[in-house]
Amino acid sequence: MSASVHAIDPRTWRSETASLAMWVFLATELMFFGALFLAYLYVRSHDPGGVAAASRHTHEWLGTLNTAILLTSSFTMALAVRGSQLGQRESVRRFLWITAALGTAFLAVKGIEYAKEWDEGVVPGLHFTVAEHVRATALFFYLYFVATGVHAVHLAIGVVTVLWQSWRLRAPALPPWRVDEIDVTGLYWHFVDAIWVFLYPLFYLVDLHG
Amino acid sequence: MNSPAPVRIYTMTWVALLALLATTFGLAHLDLGAMSPVASLAIATVKAVLVAVFFMHLRRASALVVLFALVAIFGLAILFTLSGADYATREIHAAPWTAPEGH
Repeated sequence: MSASVHAIDPRTWRSETASLAMWVFLATELMFFGALFLAYLYVRSHDPGGVAAASRHTHEWLGTLNTAILLTSSFTMALAVRGSQLGQRESVRRFLWITAALGTAFLAVKGIEYAKEWDEGVVPGLHFTVAEHVRATALFFYLYFVATGVHAVHLAIGVVTVLWQSWRLRAPALPPWRVDEIDVTGLYWHFVDAIWVFLYPLFYLVDLHG
Repeated sequence: MNSPAPVRIYTMTWVALLALLATTFGLAHLDLGAMSPVASLAIATVKAVLVAVFFMHLRRASALVVLFALVAIFGLAILFTLSGADYATREIHAAPWTAPEGH
């Protein structure tokens, strides 16, 4: 066994290490978001009617649009990672730019939603004018702002990181460690996308019928 | 990383994700009763698995990386189960500062 361990190609070893380190980080991130999902489960299971009423204040079309934007950004990020593995530097830069632009578009739509929600008075503690299901609505929107806010911070970090990776590719070289960096940036980006995939039905799709 | 997957794999994953998004949005407008959250969370899980397997290339990852991904999910399941043991079995009593009725 030890002979095969020593026979590992250093490049493969470095890629493996980088990938594994990012997965370990993402595991801790899942614990972090997991606590928010658990709080949500508590509120929803203890007052389903209240949560259903509260969720009708969210803007499901904007939420759906944002989900499509983010899923598409993961697609372009995956293509950037693929391009880097093939050594296609210009293609990588282009897809990184598109990914960052889609991420920024998501944040812009989220900002529009937050502005609407402020006007509609569903911001607990600051501007809250809801008269029915007050407790459930306050808890629901508190969780909504914390979860989507923390998610937006993660995405903003992702946008900056993607732009940084793109900027570093301006010189005509694509060394192996840069390929690894783009790969783990992609892992982070897809994770943030996957978190949104769960936030979307939990906040927007609770009670749309009737 | 070994040789990357063909573009077709990524395109098909993206199309599947958007189709699932349209499906979950459509289903949310139907009155499915208690099945509604089950359906939306099942679709969300399928989407997340597609992202993890194809975009995060778990499909080609080493056993160690797959193990860490599974341990993350397992850890979350423990968190939910043990916390649920408390929240699911505890009665909610009025807080001490609630104005007593009839006084």
